[in-house]
Amino acid sequence: MNTMVVLSVVDIALLIAGLAFYLFVVGSQLKRIATNLEECAGLVRTIKGNAEVIEPGLEHINRTGGVIAGALPLLYGMAEGIVAGVAPRPDQPVVRGPARPASGRRRSRLHDSVGYVPAGSSTSASTEAPG
Amino acid sequence: MGLALTDTQTNLWWGAIWGGLAIVVAVALLLTILVILVNRIDKRVVKVRDTLRAAVANTNDTALIEPTAERVDAVLAEGLKHHLFLGRVLDKVRS
Repeated sequence: MNTMVVLSVVDIALLIAGLAFYLFVVGSQLKRIATNLEECAGLVRTIKGNAEVIEPGLEHINRTGGVIAGALPLLYGMAEGIVAGVAPRPDQPVVRGPARPASGRRRSRLHDSVGYVPAGSSTSASTEAPG
Repeated sequence: MGLALTDTQTNLWWGAIWGGLAIVVAVALLLTILVILVNRIDKRVVKVRDTLRAAVANTNDTALIEPTAERVDAVLAEGLKHHLFLGRVLDKVRS
């Protein structure tokens, strides 16, 4: 009889103690989570504030950059016109001579092939020729 | 002073005691699972918080976008001055 009473009391005490322990543990965990979530909410608000200036700023930059990119060829054209206008032009000859090849007259190698060295020639072939 | 209980009452009491013990164990098991799950939530919330901190660090410099836009406007204004200057010079060169 006494054993049953004691065990009943122990049973109830275990239940209450267990519930209290787990309640304390879960409560502390939830408190920590709440603190972290509050910080997360603040961080999200900060990110939102930082991100709000991105779109209008980039639209502004893109619009202005497009205007600049469209105007640059016009500036190039004007600069080229100025350069062409102030560059000195060489005087052209009134009477042009006949067109001649830039390489000049080509030297014949027929004499070298037969070993003949003309008088007054000082080419490298003359040093190779016998006599 | 003792209570006079019948065998049936005694058996029912013992049953209640063992049943209560089983309930205590089951409650402890379920609450342990609850604690584990809440602990997992806590860790993932910490990860989310760290990610958000990194995102804040990444987006802190967006305040520079507006000054950059103003500088680009200044470039455009300078380009317009160049346009006017080149237009005047080109007219003089052509004339």
